[in-house]
Amino acid sequence: MDFALLRDAFWGLTFDGLALGAIYALISLGYTLVYGVLRLINFAHSEVFMIGTFSALVASGIMGVKVEDDPRTGWKMVLTLLVCLIAAMLASAITAVLVEIIAYRRLRQRGATKLATLISAIGVSISLVEAFRIITHSLPREFPRIMDKTFLLSYAGADIRNDKVIVIVAAGLMMFALERFISKSRYGKGIRAVSMDENTATLMGVNINKVITVTFLAGGLMAGAAAFFYILVYENTSFKVGFFLGISAFTAAVLGGIGNLKGALFGGFVLGVLETYTSAVFGTAWKAVISFLILVLVLLIKPTGLFGESIQQARV
Amino acid sequence: MKKIISAIATVALVVGTAVAVAPAANAACSGKLKIAYQGPLTGPEAALGINELNGVKFALSKFLTANKGANVDPTVYEVDDQGDPAVAGPIAPKVAAEECVVALVGPAYSGASKVSLPVYLSAGLSIITPSATNPTLPTFGKSIFHRAVLTDDYQGPAAARLIVSKNKNAKVFLVNDASDYAVGLQKTVDITLAGRVVGKDVTPTGTTDFTATIAKIKKSKATAVFYSGYFSQAAVFVKQLRDSGSKITFASGDGTLDDQFVKLARKSAEGALLTAPAIPFETASPKLAKEMTAMGMKPGVYTTESYDAANFFLEAIKAGNTDRASINKYVSTKSSKGLSKTLKFDAEGEVSGADVNGFIVKNGKLVLLGAIK
Repeated sequence: MDFALLRDAFWGLTFDGLALGAIYALISLGYTLVYGVLRLINFAHSEVFMIGTFSALVASGIMGVKVEDDPRTGWKMVLTLLVCLIAAMLASAITAVLVEIIAYRRLRQRGATKLATLISAIGVSISLVEAFRIITHSLPREFPRIMDKTFLLSYAGADIRNDKVIVIVAAGLMMFALERFISKSRYGKGIRAVSMDENTATLMGVNINKVITVTFLAGGLMAGAAAFFYILVYENTSFKVGFFLGISAFTAAVLGGIGNLKGALFGGFVLGVLETYTSAVFGTAWKAVISFLILVLVLLIKPTGLFGESIQQARV
Repeated sequence: MKKIISAIATVALVVGTAVAVAPAANAACSGKLKIAYQGPLTGPEAALGINELNGVKFALSKFLTANKGANVDPTVYEVDDQGDPAVAGPIAPKVAAEECVVALVGPAYSGASKVSLPVYLSAGLSIITPSATNPTLPTFGKSIFHRAVLTDDYQGPAAARLIVSKNKNAKVFLVNDASDYAVGLQKTVDITLAGRVVGKDVTPTGTTDFTATIAKIKKSKATAVFYSGYFSQAAVFVKQLRDSGSKITFASGDGTLDDQFVKLARKSAEGALLTAPAIPFETASPKLAKEMTAMGMKPGVYTTESYDAANFFLEAIKAGNTDRASINKYVSTKSSKGLSKTLKFDAEGEVSGADVNGFIVKNGKLVLLGAIK
């Protein structure tokens, strides 16, 4: 155990943990939104994320970036980054909506059990992973460096790097936009209505299918953004990239209280920071053991997560 | 952790069923004799397996050109274990049950070897591994086990010497990926470096964020880091290390010695010191390397050793041995002059009289530094 490291490098670890947590938080929003509306764990969400990373990769290629190139500068860099971000968000959103239409909608309309839908979700997830395994010949892919990584400032031993600052700030903005959308827009109200009571919402004239499509779309957009930020910081992806991140993001959603947007956000940041601290104190090998033990303890005390499961009031 | 548990479970399962599934050592083969290759042919480690498979394919095609009437199948019997013990476990009994498979080059990886070897032992199937370097393997394969390279008992100390020769007052931080291979290799590096080791961390396969490890390395004031593991994760690690502003020496073993490592890590790989008990095909025989490339097969790490291993088996067949038992006896007692070294196995199936080579990444290429003294 190395508490001295945590003390000495506290701010550096916290900053890096927040950047990782921002990615977790963005992915976990997708889990939480779908659960809030359908009471379904969308297991294919990790692959929605994975497809986002590959789309960003393809977009960078279309923008003429090669892995051996030097990082871009000025407006060219901003444009390339934006195109990659939008490509990842769109691809993930489209995937999420398609998954819903193909794998869930019919089951839902025919009154299938939650278990059948869950298995369908797992099936979609495995098919997508295997398809990408074959397409990519099981090899990891590197993402070109579009933006040079530089240290903006050094505070109390913490080196603040530009890409991580962008991730934290942009993730915050996206979550703010999502929150506004859910609380203010017509579709947002629909989502909240359906999550409270599906039947009553239908009677009130809410178009359930549309609301569900919008839910998957919003979750997909967030996962796509997470995918772009992930690839910007870590610069690599593979067919199995969604697996570990998906589990962590799902955990973050449960930690915060699944179905609860603020919970997912908070859970993501907490888990990111917690994993980084435990890696420092107990060694990286113990990261999962300690973080998940803490999760179990939190759930023992608060079974519905830190912010409560109730979609209805808490999520806005 | 999941991998370890599943590996233990598979060992138990495989050992339990091996006797029932495997055929008698002398089961008759009615068709052409087959040479098998086992290693990762898909999955993130596939690059290494393909290097080795190419060596076997090349040896086989050269043999058949020289010996037209030989009763040997021109296609290599490919066994894809993805380098993963959990995948290797269920496959090994199927390979053992294939009567015409009379010899096997591989398994490529130590973890996969541990679950496969007991099965091949009970089936009497002779194996020569070109790259599994964990020192404990003879206890799993016993009489059918042969290894064409030096073990980690040699590679680790050589890696340690390489680091010190490039970095006189080296203070070294050790990182491993928790795999059988990585833990074994790190142990020997650790023993040789002794007082120079200033810290350690374990980053299990699948780790994507190395923040905490890098914080530890910085705090330890290490001047070098030795990463024990495979290239795909090594590339992610070295990239994050360089992005954190650290310029300390990066060193790693044969798991990282792969073109893919340089391709994935790009500029961050520059200056990386790597070791392997292997010799590049182009160095061992420029003429054959050219010929191989012309056939559309690119030589890589461990191609030479696989080529030698396959040739030893083919010599056994040429000498009139057509079943598993006699082929095993031949390779266990005779010797074969290979490109990398003369293969002559001792009672444990280990080879001697070879070197561990050092490499450095320079201008995006793996450059041979020569034998590590």
